[in-house]
Amino acid sequence: MIRKSGWLVFIVFFAALLALVYLLAGPAIRVGMVYSLEKAVGAEVNINKVSLELAPLALRINDLQITDAAKPSHNSISFGHARAALEVWPALLGYYVIDELTVDGLQYGAQRSSIGDVYREPSQDGEKVDIAALLQVDLPDADELIARANLQTPAKAEALKQLALVEQQKLKTLQDKLPTKDVIAQYQADIKALTDSKITDAADLAKKVEQLSQLKDKLKTEQATLVEAKQLLTHSQSALANAVTELKDASKADYAKVQQLANLSDGGLAGISQILLGDLWAQRITQLQSLYVLAKPYLPEQGAASDTADAAPEAVLPNRVLPLPNPPYPNFWVRRANVNWLIGGGEATITLQDITAQHALIDRATQFTVDVKQLPQLSALNINGDFAIMDKMITNLNWTLEGLTLQATQFGKDDTALDLAAGMITSNGKLKLTDNQINQQASVVLNGGNFSSSGNKYLQQLASLLNKQQQIPLNIATTGLISQPDVSIRSSLDKVLGDALLGEAKQKIAAYQSELQAKLNTQLQSGLAGQQDWAALLTQQDGEVADISDNIENMLNAKLADVKDQAKDKLKDKLFNKLGGGE
Amino acid sequence: MLTMLAKILKVLNSQVSPWQIGWAIALGLFVGILPFGLLTLLLVLLVCLLTVNLSTFIVTWGLTEGLMLLFAEPLEQLTWQYAQNDTLLRFLANNETAQLLHLHHTLTLGAFILGVVLAFPIAWCSKMLVLQYRSRIMSNVEKWKVTQMLKASKLFSLYEKLN
Repeated sequence: MIRKSGWLVFIVFFAALLALVYLLAGPAIRVGMVYSLEKAVGAEVNINKVSLELAPLALRINDLQITDAAKPSHNSISFGHARAALEVWPALLGYYVIDELTVDGLQYGAQRSSIGDVYREPSQDGEKVDIAALLQVDLPDADELIARANLQTPAKAEALKQLALVEQQKLKTLQDKLPTKDVIAQYQADIKALTDSKITDAADLAKKVEQLSQLKDKLKTEQATLVEAKQLLTHSQSALANAVTELKDASKADYAKVQQLANLSDGGLAGISQILLGDLWAQRITQLQSLYVLAKPYLPEQGAASDTADAAPEAVLPNRVLPLPNPPYPNFWVRRANVNWLIGGGEATITLQDITAQHALIDRATQFTVDVKQLPQLSALNINGDFAIMDKMITNLNWTLEGLTLQATQFGKDDTALDLAAGMITSNGKLKLTDNQINQQASVVLNGGNFSSSGNKYLQQLASLLNKQQQIPLNIATTGLISQPDVSIRSSLDKVLGDALLGEAKQKIAAYQSELQAKLNTQLQSGLAGQQDWAALLTQQDGEVADISDNIENMLNAKLADVKDQAKDKLKDKLFNKLGGGE
Repeated sequence: MLTMLAKILKVLNSQVSPWQIGWAIALGLFVGILPFGLLTLLLVLLVCLLTVNLSTFIVTWGLTEGLMLLFAEPLEQLTWQYAQNDTLLRFLANNETAQLLHLHHTLTLGAFILGVVLAFPIAWCSKMLVLQYRSRIMSNVEKWKVTQMLKASKLFSLYEKLN
């Protein structure tokens, strides 16, 4: 049963295995990396060498270059060498704990020595973020500014119009059921005919009473229809009154907003920076949504009831780690990482600590700092912050940017084009992201801006005004959901800028305002006038039917009394005849 | 392929105990379905120490590794589904040995359980099949032209010499 040479066979097998791993692991990993990266990026990937160090266990990658599929003469990313030191015991337990990760000579967009092969054309929908694009603003014309002011009145006026139409339709349908004047006259004629006719005997009396009752029932039905119509009218009047109130309120609010925008009373214009840059900043902020989407699968299942499908992470590798209650290590954890990034003729140092998605296990947040100094176009940039996924995803970020030289750029196009020949930006700010809620404050100052415009006279005036300013400050605050951020941008130059830029828009807004008032009045009159006529008509009809109904009652009673008298007289005559009084 | 066939025929036609072949198949299958790790090494040690047939073990291991290209994903998903059990997860969390054997990894756990459950039945079935083969089919197979060709081939003689 026991093989005597078993241990020997095993030792030989194990030794051969170790030797194979040591000798072939590097090349095997290199081939695997090249294959997977090329598959992912669709372009040539070069790795000079991958080697495995046994003590301490570490992987070293030398000279990695990933061809930019859109520009094969350049790399998208490349680095000189990277080293990841793996901790042995956690690795034996199946956790990837990297003690230290260093990447030196990281470059973005460096030129290749030879043109790289492209296996798959890059898709066009990928968005590249560059500073020029970040600063690109389309200056709106006057009509667009009015549109951006998001006035509520037109919508409310349209709603009122629709409501009036619907209500009128309902009333029209009911009108067809209401008794016409001819019908009422017919009722009166019928009753008169019945009451004026002679009653011959008791059977005739009973018949006529029956006919009168039927008429009365019909009249009751007509009256019920009238009551229903009146109720509907009351309801309709109340709905329309509400709509009118809303319209009036919206008009009032719009008027206030337009006044604020146009700042007609002061002769200036507030909030121009908000109108110009608000949407742009909101778009940039919504890009942070992707960070939240990435972190969401790792968040505790607070929204499990609504989002159970997301509970299990997708199987990327065919061997997932089970969600143990208190695992000794995170599944993936880089204790320290240093990245040396060659950027724009200088270098940036990125330092990260505790990179993981399971911060609760290590009870620490991921810390990061980015230090950029003395680039040709940037004096200094410092970003620091932390990121943690605990009960919630919390990200804090602070930045200081000094002396970012702007290259010649153009805002807007055609006759709203504004050229910036030179300028320097300084900024600082902070940002806090809690799950998908953002709270951000920033200050941006443009120094020594040199603007010019060949567009309309307002823009020329604006360029001239801007050039007179030594500094153009902007205060940007963002709150709310990342997907729908509430952005507030203010500048002390708002009034000056507004006067110039919105000179044309101001006139349009004023014209729009008076047009709005006129339209509103017309709509109110057309919407409500019909209603009042209707109410009068219904009240009149209701009165008429009630009168007829009362008349029937009276006539019926009178007729009955008359019939009774006739019957009494007949009885008396009969008795008198029988007693022989007549002979 | 020919070498593999020759190996199998040689073992089946030899005097190797049916149990040795049966356990070689069962353990080869067990090692084959497991992702490579400490458990694999322990099983290989077991195979080395016991007198199971090494050729059959290696052939079965290789074949099963190939089959796992198809079956690894369903097995992994099945394990993920059924392993969400508090007691099991607590046991795995508190047991470092289990983690050292990577039993907290879905595929490893699923393969381990499947291997343990199937080991004996497969060993027994394989033993029975070997017995049946030897008593009923072996003499006929010896007469097949393919077998004779294989036996006559240089590769086979080389293989025999090496063994």
